[in-house]
Amino acid sequence: MELLLQYLANGLVTGSFYALSALGLTLILGLMRVVNFAHGELYMLGGVMGWWATTRLGLDFFTGLLLVAVAMGAFGWLIDRFLIERIRDQGEEAGILLTIGLSIFLANTALLAVGTAPLKVEAPISAGPAFLGPIVLTKLRLFAVAVCALLIVGAWLTIHKTRLGRSMRATFQDPMAARLVGIRTANVYAATFAMGTVIASMAGMLLGSIYSAQVSVGGLVSMKAFVVVILGGMGSFAGAIAGGLLLGVAEALWGGYVATGWVDIIGFALVILTLVFRPYGLFSKRAERA
Amino acid sequence: MNFQWKSLAAAWVLPTFCLGAWAQDTVKIGVIQPLTGSVAYNGQAFVAGAKLAVEQRNAAGGVGGKKIELVIEDGQCRPANSVNAAEKLIQRDKVVAVTGAFCSSATAAVMPVAEKYKVPLLSGVSSKADLTEKGMQYFFRSAETDRLMSKTFSKILADKLQLKNVAYIGVNDDWGRGGVEDFSKDLSGMGVKTVMKEYFDHGATDFYTLLTKLRAAKADGVFVAAETQDGSILVKQFKEFGLNTKIFGVGSWATADFIGLTGAASEGVYAAVPYASSMPGERNKAFVDQYTAAYKEKPGKYGAAGFNALNILMEAAARAGKAEPEAIRDALRKTDYQAPNGRYRFTEKGEGYGFDVVLVQIVGKEPKVVAESPTEKP
Repeated sequence: MELLLQYLANGLVTGSFYALSALGLTLILGLMRVVNFAHGELYMLGGVMGWWATTRLGLDFFTGLLLVAVAMGAFGWLIDRFLIERIRDQGEEAGILLTIGLSIFLANTALLAVGTAPLKVEAPISAGPAFLGPIVLTKLRLFAVAVCALLIVGAWLTIHKTRLGRSMRATFQDPMAARLVGIRTANVYAATFAMGTVIASMAGMLLGSIYSAQVSVGGLVSMKAFVVVILGGMGSFAGAIAGGLLLGVAEALWGGYVATGWVDIIGFALVILTLVFRPYGLFSKRAERA
Repeated sequence: MNFQWKSLAAAWVLPTFCLGAWAQDTVKIGVIQPLTGSVAYNGQAFVAGAKLAVEQRNAAGGVGGKKIELVIEDGQCRPANSVNAAEKLIQRDKVVAVTGAFCSSATAAVMPVAEKYKVPLLSGVSSKADLTEKGMQYFFRSAETDRLMSKTFSKILADKLQLKNVAYIGVNDDWGRGGVEDFSKDLSGMGVKTVMKEYFDHGATDFYTLLTKLRAAKADGVFVAAETQDGSILVKQFKEFGLNTKIFGVGSWATADFIGLTGAASEGVYAAVPYASSMPGERNKAFVDQYTAAYKEKPGKYGAAGFNALNILMEAAARAGKAEPEAIRDALRKTDYQAPNGRYRFTEKGEGYGFDVVLVQIVGKEPKVVAESPTEKP
């Protein structure tokens, strides 16, 4: 029983990390119909910049996080205006090729710049153990889960409650009509991509402070994020959260009761089952896909 | 004009006689290491050590009046990529010898290629025992095998750490599984009970599930086979989790980077390593000084492995007297190399021995040598 509780706690913590890692991907995919294969690399850049800000510039964690958010937001904006802009409305293949190219470029540029060594992001609080009854967690992990929740809620509010969010939704429902009522759709696309980039990079820095930031991590992050997005359905907030938690808990239980060596098999099995039985994700409404 | 004639002649005549290697002013040696991917960091350290050895040799006149040139390829620790790299090095670059390819599975894939083109292949890292048992005539290994480490260390560990129940954790590949199997067999032979055996995948970041199992297993010692990246995260989470079990690891544990990444959590960890920068001896001191001057950090296991592998190859080339793969292979068999960490020789199967291995404990952020023992001829 004690073991089960600990496994569940482990799974929920990693699950919320998965949810946050996947949020940027699901936003860009659901709203813009761009399959962003560079998602993991944007996450990686967040971690690397977080390392640079906290250890090289000597900033504290939150100032560093703000700096990363601003810099990566600007970077995401530029990627959209200078790259994705050119292939808009040319079908999905062009976007796939472009983002794959971008991911290779970013990963290798980072490799040249900072090398392969794992990088340490200074954490805002200590990583000592914290006990909840028989369950061991760390304050840092609880803090990270709280930040995950805040970021997810923040993103949801932005999309559903603000003027920018309304124009985003309008643009993606019908770009022509949105332009006719005076929305500058080019800016809306750029803002959406920037927002996805900011969330991915903040996740990278936050999780970098718990594990470590690594240049080569992008592929693995993209893979898990895609699993979560397929489970939850494109563009669905609730889906990303539920998909992330489901993956985290399933991995923890499989690792705990079967074998930790084959834990990645879980993600793939879940994806295959979802694609066979619920191809639009567990939480996607068909109507959302115009 | 004269110069042009010569190069024209060289371009035409030499390839016909397959003497590409002779025509150049440099002697090329190929290096296949993972420069990207999850063990890239260790692969880069090997390359750093290799470059240092070559620089020193070139500064002292090179081999037979010719400078040594390293041609470095990224094998990513994958069999397919490493084979491609070997084909390219041998066919296009005409290297006279190859060193690589880090991961045992990648090296095993490169061995038949070296055999086919009759080019000597020296691995300074791959430790899977059966590599030298395949009857290959061009393969040499200047690394400790898991068997050798296990045999030398199991007794020290059982006596020194007073272990009764041991848990085993390894990275999910040939090397990790081999290490876990060898140590658990040898320690069981000494009456130490195995309470858990688990593996994790390369690049895993969250070990809490594994640690939950470990806590439930109630071991008084845990054996870990992992490299710097995975190992440092594991040890950090181990301490976060509030566990106080004694840890002893194989892999590159006694390095400055491992300690830097793991921070205070590395205190007290034992590591069975073929090399530590704090090993006694004048030769090692000189090597550590030179390495530190060149790279601003102390050499670890892989820096030393790269340094030794290249020196062994270059000495063999010097003894052979000509830059020809066959001659270098014959000279390699007669290796007697004084390394920073002992004296390397090879058996007929190409298995290296004679070098020292050490058990270190990390105390005050420095690897402190607890026990040192030379490896015997297998």
